Amino acid sequence: MLTIDKLNDFGANTSEGLKRCLNMESFYLDLVKTAMNDEQLVKLGKAIENNDYDQAFEITHSLKGVYSNLSLTPLCEPISEMTELFRSKTQADYKAMYDLVMQRFNEFCNL
Amino acid sequence: MYDHFGTKQNIHRKVLVVDDELINRLLLGNIVGRDYDVLYAENGVQAMEQIKKNAKTLSLVMLDLMMPEKDGYEVLEELKNSPELCRIPTIVLTSEKSAEVKSLSLGAADFISKPYDMPEVIMARVRRSIELAESYRMLNRTERDSLTGLYNKEFFMEYCERYNSFYPNSHMDALVVNINKFHIVNELYGRDKGNHVLQKVADVIAEFTSGENGLACRNTGDVFYLFVPHRESYDDLVSALNSSAGKIPINVRIGICEKTDSSVGIEQQFDHASLACGKHRGSQMCAYVFYDTSLREKELYNERLLREMNDAIKSKQFCVYFQPKYNIRGDKPRPTSAEALIRWIHPELGFISPGAFIPVFEENGLIHKLDRYVWNETAAQIRRMKDKYGLSVPISVNVSRVDIYDPKLEETLLETIKRHDLETSDMLLEITESEYTNNSTQIIDTVTRLRNDGFKVEMDDFGTGYSSLNMLSSLPIDVLKLDMSFMRHICENEKDLQMVKLILDIAKYLGVSTVAEGVEKEEQYHLLKDAGCDVIQGYYFSRPLPSDAFEKLFEEELSCLQ
Repeated sequence: MLTIDKLNDFGANTSEGLKRCLNMESFYLDLVKTAMNDEQLVKLGKAIENNDYDQAFEITHSLKGVYSNLSLTPLCEPISEMTELFRSKTQADYKAMYDLVMQRFNEFCNL
Repeated sequence: MYDHFGTKQNIHRKVLVVDDELINRLLLGNIVGRDYDVLYAENGVQAMEQIKKNAKTLSLVMLDLMMPEKDGYEVLEELKNSPELCRIPTIVLTSEKSAEVKSLSLGAADFISKPYDMPEVIMARVRRSIELAESYRMLNRTERDSLTGLYNKEFFMEYCERYNSFYPNSHMDALVVNINKFHIVNELYGRDKGNHVLQKVADVIAEFTSGENGLACRNTGDVFYLFVPHRESYDDLVSALNSSAGKIPINVRIGICEKTDSSVGIEQQFDHASLACGKHRGSQMCAYVFYDTSLREKELYNERLLREMNDAIKSKQFCVYFQPKYNIRGDKPRPTSAEALIRWIHPELGFISPGAFIPVFEENGLIHKLDRYVWNETAAQIRRMKDKYGLSVPISVNVSRVDIYDPKLEETLLETIKRHDLETSDMLLEITESEYTNNSTQIIDTVTRLRNDGFKVEMDDFGTGYSSLNMLSSLPIDVLKLDMSFMRHICENEKDLQMVKLILDIAKYLGVSTVAEGVEKEEQYHLLKDAGCDVIQGYYFSRPLPSDAFEKLFEEELSCLQ
């Protein structure tokens, strides 16, 4: 069962996230569960495979907003970095970055 | 108003949250939902549907920028270009600094960054944006004329004053624009069409003032005020205004006061422009006129004449002069009657021409009082002629437009006759041709009653009105007075002479006597005598005379006869 403590252990800034949710714990946890069921990371993987940086930018930009609003720091940080790289269409090892994000995401989903 | 509806009336305002991410929508909706009813949209297309559906009740849109189908910028653009929807404030949701500038330039009221600020900050920004928008709408409603969208006068003057404070040495023109005879537009086409015309005129004015970096307001009715940088010509504005109403023909007149003195205030500048506009009424020469100090001096002069009229009557500053009329039917011309003419000998201003004070008194209705004075003085003179010389010298007096509509006219004239123990045939009544043609039914009724009482009626200034030959045969008159303009060129212009002959023939045929006014030369006298004119009045025989000189003239005439 997902709890605030588990999210803290994961590295999320739950106090900040809770403040945005008016300290409504169940509401916050529902939103976090919704984020767990989001399929955008799968689409991101495909966009990276296809070198579609525009599509990749849109997805990471969107996820950045969601993760930062929920203060899911371990996810927010790499996604933010990827967003800026995609925005400037910089050549980088996106596969490696993506793998890191997926690793953390899987860890997140298993909370 | 914000508190009134929010707390006292317990009415929740509506806020629309637009974001393609469900989590973001729910998070924001949860924060805002404490104080507002929240609507949601996933993209720009849905957002516009919600906005249009709730246009009258939506207080705020919280708008993400990057969305599928239609992004936030497109929504902002659409709102900005809609007169109905642009009033709804928008707060943009963005984490991009560069987007903030673009959003604000597209009309966004504020922005909230991502990740979202703390709820208290968000609520403060939401509340502030709604308050500002509602205050602006309230201000707009009170500062604008509801029909035309121009400023109303109070706000306009306030803004002009403010401009003058910041730029006291600016060279600005105050314009007063008036649509000539606008009441006729309402009468002919109806008030709705009349209002439409006013809106069209206002549109032209708004465009003009916008292009000139000026201001405009609708004062009252069909009067507009403009405050624009000075220019020498307003031909383009006049042309645009006169063609603004499409098939409905209108003509404007404009009074302009150029600010040449920094001490002249806004109110005074527009007073001067109004004066110029008013004095310009009826002028066909040019549609606009610049105020100059002579107009103000004239206005002050006229005000003085009005103010001092009553005292002038009491202290006998008004003198009635008498211009003899000579019967030229016999071998020798003989004075047989006269016309009473008013003169004002002012103790400070000296001789004031009737041309200066009569139009002023006519405009204000005071001519009524002056006419009665003249009738009384004239009746007294006729009485003196009878008593002194045993002579009945009929004298004609003017009956003004104001007098014709007076229900007591007949009674007053009869009282005057009775007071001086005269006959009604002793006093001739002169009514101008233009009064006959302007109000023929009323005139005919009034004149018929007066003639039934025994008064003789003269149509004065014949040739200056619009009577047709057909009308002449049916109008109740005893004497036709040809205006002096007919006499001017009869010596050198055959056509003019023939015209006078024609009129004299028609008068003879109708059994009406004729008087030729303004005869100054011997040649004119002979031509008129040969043409059959009955009486001549003019400087050739005599100028208007004061009472004693008038009496002396008849004394000499009598002694010649004896």
